[in-house]
Amino acid sequence: MAVINYQPLAASDATTTKTLLYESIPLTGTIVSGTYGTFPDDTNIKNYTHGMFQSVYDYPYLSSSANHIFDLTVGYKSNSPLSVSAGSTMQAKKINMYNQLSQVLLGYTGSANTVRDFELDLNLDQTGSMKEGLFINFSRLLYKDEIKKGTVSITLGTGSWATPFSGVKTLTDASASVVQGTTNTLGGDYGLLYDSTLKDDSVKGVVFYQAGIVVLSTSSFDSISTFNSGAAYGYTVGQSLISASISGSCDALRRRIQNIQFNNTVEINSTIYFCRAAHNKYNYSTNPTYLSASQIVVKNAASDIPVSYITTVGLYNTNNELLASAKLSEPLKKTPENEIVLRVRLDY
Amino acid sequence: MAFLDNSGDIILDAVLTDVGRKRMAQGNFRITKFALGDDEVNYGLYNKASASGSAYYDLEILQTPVLEAFSQTNAGINYGLLSLTAPDLLYMPVFEINTKLMVTNAIAPKSTFPNIFFVASTAANTVTKLLATGSLASTKYFTVSNQYDGSAILIEGGLNTAAVTGGPSERTSYLVSNNLIDNTAYVYYDNRFFNGIIAADSTSTYNNDNNGIPNLQLHMKRAAPISTDLQIDNYSAVRISCPNNGIVYNQDYSTPDTTVSAIAGPRSVFAALNFDVKTSLTVEFSRYGTVSNDLFGDGNSYSFIDTMIYLQGATTGMQIQIPVRIIKYVGT
Repeated sequence: MAVINYQPLAASDATTTKTLLYESIPLTGTIVSGTYGTFPDDTNIKNYTHGMFQSVYDYPYLSSSANHIFDLTVGYKSNSPLSVSAGSTMQAKKINMYNQLSQVLLGYTGSANTVRDFELDLNLDQTGSMKEGLFINFSRLLYKDEIKKGTVSITLGTGSWATPFSGVKTLTDASASVVQGTTNTLGGDYGLLYDSTLKDDSVKGVVFYQAGIVVLSTSSFDSISTFNSGAAYGYTVGQSLISASISGSCDALRRRIQNIQFNNTVEINSTIYFCRAAHNKYNYSTNPTYLSASQIVVKNAASDIPVSYITTVGLYNTNNELLASAKLSEPLKKTPENEIVLRVRLDY
Repeated sequence: MAFLDNSGDIILDAVLTDVGRKRMAQGNFRITKFALGDDEVNYGLYNKASASGSAYYDLEILQTPVLEAFSQTNAGINYGLLSLTAPDLLYMPVFEINTKLMVTNAIAPKSTFPNIFFVASTAANTVTKLLATGSLASTKYFTVSNQYDGSAILIEGGLNTAAVTGGPSERTSYLVSNNLIDNTAYVYYDNRFFNGIIAADSTSTYNNDNNGIPNLQLHMKRAAPISTDLQIDNYSAVRISCPNNGIVYNQDYSTPDTTVSAIAGPRSVFAALNFDVKTSLTVEFSRYGTVSNDLFGDGNSYSFIDTMIYLQGATTGMQIQIPVRIIKYVGT
């Protein structure tokens, strides 16, 4: 039914705010590898016929309950030492993957418009280049608006293929924060991932916060002779990038992910409406139970104060269309002896 | 829709409605006013006789669980809170349907169909068959669609209480002085079945003579449609006039006012309604009603649809629901 009594909202009755919410996102290695089948029969891992990346779900991906959590891929620059090796597998696609991610996240440089290299520093001066990369592209479902700076922690196994977690290293972006430790590029801010177990805090990768992408250097796994199972003798990480398929190298990386943790960020813009019920407003009701034989049931005599109870706030436009509705968790008593300001916050 | 957690601080659960999201998509989302409602509250739980004292009168009301906010067409406030200037009101008016058979031109439900007001289709033979013995058998029990000079549903407004007599001075002191006269009202109807509403205009009169005999003079005209967000699918609205209700109490009248009026105390206004039923109704009877039914057991078959009409006072917000049955003769 149409509402009879409206109260106007002046411009001063509304204000806007911005709030940042953070959620802790822990990704344990068992979900990534092991919980839903053993390699190579993991049912939560989706490989594609084009073979350019691998998708990881938090549940067997054929189920409608499954959520896509991240993608894995690998690649290298065309001038990487790996690209000139003989017997390369999917070489063009690996170069394409590197270039695509680099051009989106870093852009081009020089008069020839060459795609930038990922760098293991914050200078973007084409030194300290990372010409090979292992990429973890998080789903927006996880990182929401952006990854919170200074919260990334990735624990990787550095053991053999057979026992990947016989040794581990943890990469963190602990030096990054809102005010320092990052560089702004086309793909947003990026920070450095340090190996916290090394005394010299050597950089082992970068994280792009707004894009939700982690680029790991192959140097994290340089000391491992059997990064990938590969042929009977196993592949180093370099050999894996050359000779294994992209999904094969992704399997090897996934097998070594023990834990990934970060805080995501949700930016909420809100409008707050202050709905003021003055002392002489809204003290009566059209609720059918308000009357018994036409007498107001909350009164014994005319001199008793009228009482009503608020449960709902409706927000309308000039055409009396209900644009938003708000419910109080319990009825709020309204009498001529009180004034009530209801603060209705709409989040966008 | 779940209840809100009412175990701790009072929280406010707000959502955009479907209309709000639509307006946002169109780029004209602009909130300019608000209203308050109390749909969940049962004021009958207000216990003025609580032995624990006045602080406990509304204990049960304050413990009323409240549903989460709706976002669809039912999101609206059905019974809004009202701002009336006088703080000392003890009575408020209500609408009642007059089913007193002695009021000429006012229809009533037949005893075999209590609470149903029949509206006859203009389809061939429907009125003839309804007037036959064994059927409704009288024009007192139904209106005919799209008629401006026949019977109508008579609704009266006022204080329906025996505690206040229905004299002119009481009407002034209890109703007029407190601005509780609804000179206009809104009628909401299902636009799938009706083209519009035919209602008494402001020149219509309803009063009782010196013997208390009622006299209802109706001047019916098509009501003007209005645009408003009803929060009920397929419903449209019109605005109608509500002329002053001239039925009064007088101890000298041989026919008491309560014999001819649905209101026991001071009367405020009245309204008379007829309907323009869509002549194109065919599949609607099978979709929303009943088809070829020997409703009266007289060997004649009728198709009919039951629908609800809502009447709401424009000043006081008082409401009444009128159950209406659209009926059409379809054969033997």
